[in-house]
Formats: sequence, C-alpha cells, structure tokens
Amino acid sequence: MEDRLPFGSELIDRVGWLINLRWLAVAGTLLAIGPTAVWFPGSLPFGTLLGITIAIAAYNGLFRAHLKAIRRTLLEEVQNRQASGSALGQIILDLCTLIALVHFSGGIENPMVWFLVFHIIIASILLPHGTSYWIAALAGALLITMTSLEVGGVWAHHHLPLLGVELYDEPLYLLVFVGGLVLVLFLVAYLTTSIAIRLGERDRELMTSNQTCQLRSQELKELNDRLRRVDEERTRFMVLVTHELRAPISTIYSALELALSGVASAEKTRDVLERAQKRAAELLDLIRDLLNLTRIREQTTTRDQAEEVQVDDLLREVAEFMKVEAEGKGLLLEVDIAPDVAPVQALPNQIKLVWTNLLSNAIKYTESGGRVWASLTQDDEKVRGVVRDTGMGMTPEDLSHIFDEFYRAENARKVSPHGTGVGLSIVQRTVEHWGGTIEAQSELGRGSTFTFVLPRADR
Amino acid sequence: MATKGEILVIDDDPDFCEIVKSTLEADSFSVRCASNGPQGLAMMRKKKPDLVILDVILVMPDEGVYVSDEIARDPELRQIPVVMVSSIVSSDLTGHFPTDQTLHVHKFLDKPIPMRTLLEVANEFIQGKAE
Repeated sequence: MEDRLPFGSELIDRVGWLINLRWLAVAGTLLAIGPTAVWFPGSLPFGTLLGITIAIAAYNGLFRAHLKAIRRTLLEEVQNRQASGSALGQIILDLCTLIALVHFSGGIENPMVWFLVFHIIIASILLPHGTSYWIAALAGALLITMTSLEVGGVWAHHHLPLLGVELYDEPLYLLVFVGGLVLVLFLVAYLTTSIAIRLGERDRELMTSNQTCQLRSQELKELNDRLRRVDEERTRFMVLVTHELRAPISTIYSALELALSGVASAEKTRDVLERAQKRAAELLDLIRDLLNLTRIREQTTTRDQAEEVQVDDLLREVAEFMKVEAEGKGLLLEVDIAPDVAPVQALPNQIKLVWTNLLSNAIKYTESGGRVWASLTQDDEKVRGVVRDTGMGMTPEDLSHIFDEFYRAENARKVSPHGTGVGLSIVQRTVEHWGGTIEAQSELGRGSTFTFVLPRADR
Repeated sequence: MATKGEILVIDDDPDFCEIVKSTLEADSFSVRCASNGPQGLAMMRKKKPDLVILDVILVMPDEGVYVSDEIARDPELRQIPVVMVSSIVSSDLTGHFPTDQTLHVHKFLDKPIPMRTLLEVANEFIQGKAE
C-alpha cells in the first residue's frame, strides 16, 4: 500500500496544502459564528464554538511546526511515513472537531455536516488507498453516535436559529438523512479511491515510460559513440590509404616527368621508366588488396551467401600454384593435409585468399634453401590451418602489429620495399568474419608460424 | 665534374631517391641517398651536405620529424637547410602533423615534386648559401 502513496516531497506539499486549507476553515467558522452571535444572541453556545475553533487553530499551528520538522528529515522513507501519519492524525482530529462544531450548532440541522464528505476526499488523496473507507466508517460512526445521543437526550440538542422546523422531531427523516449521508460517505470513499488508484497507475506508467526513454536515450548515445569510433577508424584508414596510393603515383609521375624532359641519359631514362612500370604493377596489387580489404571490412559478404568450402582442396590448389615460385627461389614447399577434412562455412575465394596471402608471405620472407610448410588438421569443432617458415621472422614489436593495416616489419621492407601491408589484415578479417581466429608466432631470424582455426560446417 | 653542391635525400622509397638523384645530377648537383633516419644522420655527420631533402614518413610514421629535431639539436648540422617532403603535407590532413613553426624545416614540398620546383629549390638553397 505504501508504494501507492504520493512520493516524498509531493506528499509533504499536499499535507502543507491541507494545513493551509484548515486556516481557511478556521476563518470561515469564525465568520459564521460572529454574525450569528450578533443576530441571534444566546441561541447557541457561542463560547464553546469559539473554543473549538481556537483548538482547531492551535493544533493546526502544531501540525504546521511538525511538518517543518518532517521537511528537515533526510531519509525520504522516514519523511513519507511521518507525513502520512501526520495527515491521518489531522483528518481524525478534523472529523472529531467538525462533529463537535456541528453538535453545538444544530446537529444534523447544520449543513456543515456535509463537510464530512470533504474529509473522505482528503483521505483518498493523502492516505494509502483503502484508508478512506476507514475514515468514512469513522465519520459515519461519529455522525450516528452524535445523532443518537442527541435524540436520546444524553447530549443536549442545540436548535439552529435559522431553521423554522425542528428536524429532531421527525425520527424517520433523521434516520433517512443519517443513513443517506453515511451511504454518500462510502460512495465518495469508493469513487475517490478508484480515481486515486487510476491516477497512481498513470503515474507509474509515466514513470516507466520515462525510464524507457532514458534507457533508449542511453542506447542512442552508445550507438552514436560506436558510430563515431567507426567513423574515426574510417578516417584513419583513409589517411593511410591516401598515403599508400599517393606515394607510388608520385614516384611514377616524377619518373615520367624526368623521362619526358630528356635531361637524363638514355640509360637513366630507361632505368626510371622501369622503376615506374614496377611501381605501377605494385599499385595494381595494392588496389586489388584494398578492394579485398574493403569487402571484408564492410562485410558486404553476408553469412547468407556462405557455402560449404573444402579448405583442403583450396590449399592444394594454392600450393600447386605457389610451388613454381617457391622452387624458383630455391625453397622447399611442403603440404600436409589430414584425411577427410570437414568443410567450413565461408566463401571459397576468400579462403583461397587466406592461403595465398599466408603462403606468399612465407615464400617472400624466407631465404633460398629454407622451408615452408602448410598443414591442415581438424578436431571435433574446428579446422586448423598452419603456415610455417624458416624465414627471417620478426621482433616482438613487429609481431604485435603484424595484423594492423599497412603495417610492415622493418626487415620485411628491406626484402620487399613496396609490399602493400594489408595482406595479413585481409587474412585476419576474413578468418574472423567466418567465425574463426588467427594467431602469429615468430622469433627474429627463426621463422614465423601463422595458425588459423575456422568452425566446422558440420558442427 | 664540378658540382653545384651536395644534397642528401632521406627517403625509404628507393625509386623516389633514384629519380630525385637523376634529376638533380642532370643539373650538376651531387646526390647521396639514405633510406632511413639513423643512416641519414650518420651520413650527414660523416660529410656535411649543403641541403637535406627529408621525407616525413620513413620507416616509422614520424621518423622525418625526429630527424629534423636531431639536425636542429646538433650544432654541427644546424646550419644545413632542410626541405621536408611528404604525400600528405598539402592535403586536408596536414593538421595531423606538426607545423613548420615547431620544426627545423626550411621548406615543405608535396609529393610529387615537379621537376622544375625541385631544381628551383635546390638552386635557391645552395646558391643562397654560396653567396
């Protein structure tokens, strides 16, 4: 029930509003007593009525001070409990003083008796739902008691001077009036409680939707941050690509300019033109690699396009092709493939590119007389490809950057000055795109080993 | 053959070095090439050139900047004019690199360097020094 109360400071504000209303009630009562006492002196116990009104003003002052103390309480839970208790006390006191005022000014003849209804409404607003029924019961009991005692002569009935008829002489009317009023009290308790419950539900719905909004806005912020990171990454990539593209084109341009100027000797001219041609060929390689890398980066190939790929067949095909290059360089290229290797879900061209890049690197960076192995095995879950060489290897620093785009190890630059530096990035992104992982092990002067795993398609 | 002066080209692109060398030699300059920062600095200390043409990005992304700082710190080398060359100097991304105010660099050139510009710059710095 407690959770359906208005929240902390809101409840305190409403109790403050009740206290302010009571000042108005005191003023109104005094305004009613004064003229009546002047026009109908001696008709009612005006001294007692005044005393009750002063009592109301007095407890109202006390409740006001108490509320100030509640406001200073730090814990919201304690504030809530104290404010709620204060409201209940005020309403009970109000009912009692109202009945007392009514009793000394005509009993049920006094229309002020209808103010009981007002207290039921206040209770529905300030107190936990359901309490207003108890307040209605208390108000009804007080009303019946007062009327019974007055009719029974235990309490003296003070006839309202404005009223010509004496209602207390009509027992049936009294019964109907009191019964009707008690019924009205409960009806009002029912109506106001229903409304308060509906309002409470709205409040909670609003709060939930507020929280949802905050959550959404947080999600949007995170999405935005992620997009910004992607954008930054893209900018960085563009800077690198621009540099990588401009460098060879600049060289080609300068070579052509020198050749066309005719200032250099025929021999020199031929030399720079050969250099330009070589750079143009490398530029084409770079563009091809960039295209591959972009495809992988943008993940334009979706998993829907995947097919079952026999990694072993592709290795055989690539190794066959590479064998010529390896033998031409005086290298031994060995391939070891386990029987019945399961297929993987991927695109054949991309997996072929993985083998091509790994094998061509191994051949490129291994000196004559060295060895290059490629092997393919599987376990229950994965297919494992390994390419190992006895080549130049790399430093731990180079190893930590080896999959970075455009990163090239220093010793690799010496062997092949114009490699694109994106081959291994392509390999890594491809393997990861198809749910696998890749790692590199290497030691300077002692060769390198690249191991990738891809999930089996039959698992 | 008498040369107008000696130029050291520091660039990790051997083709660029070779082409610049051929171009400048055709205009009677003597040219040496270094492929990285430390090698360039060592060659400078061995024999002081009259002009250094330095690429911003050598093996490491800011190696050119490091080399120009080293030249500025060395009282023996400080007088040598430095022309910094890059593929990115004039692009929108120039801001990613230190500006000429903080660098010991006398001129920035953008790759590709037109032949005429290269010769003008070489003549300007070397003849300016000779006078």
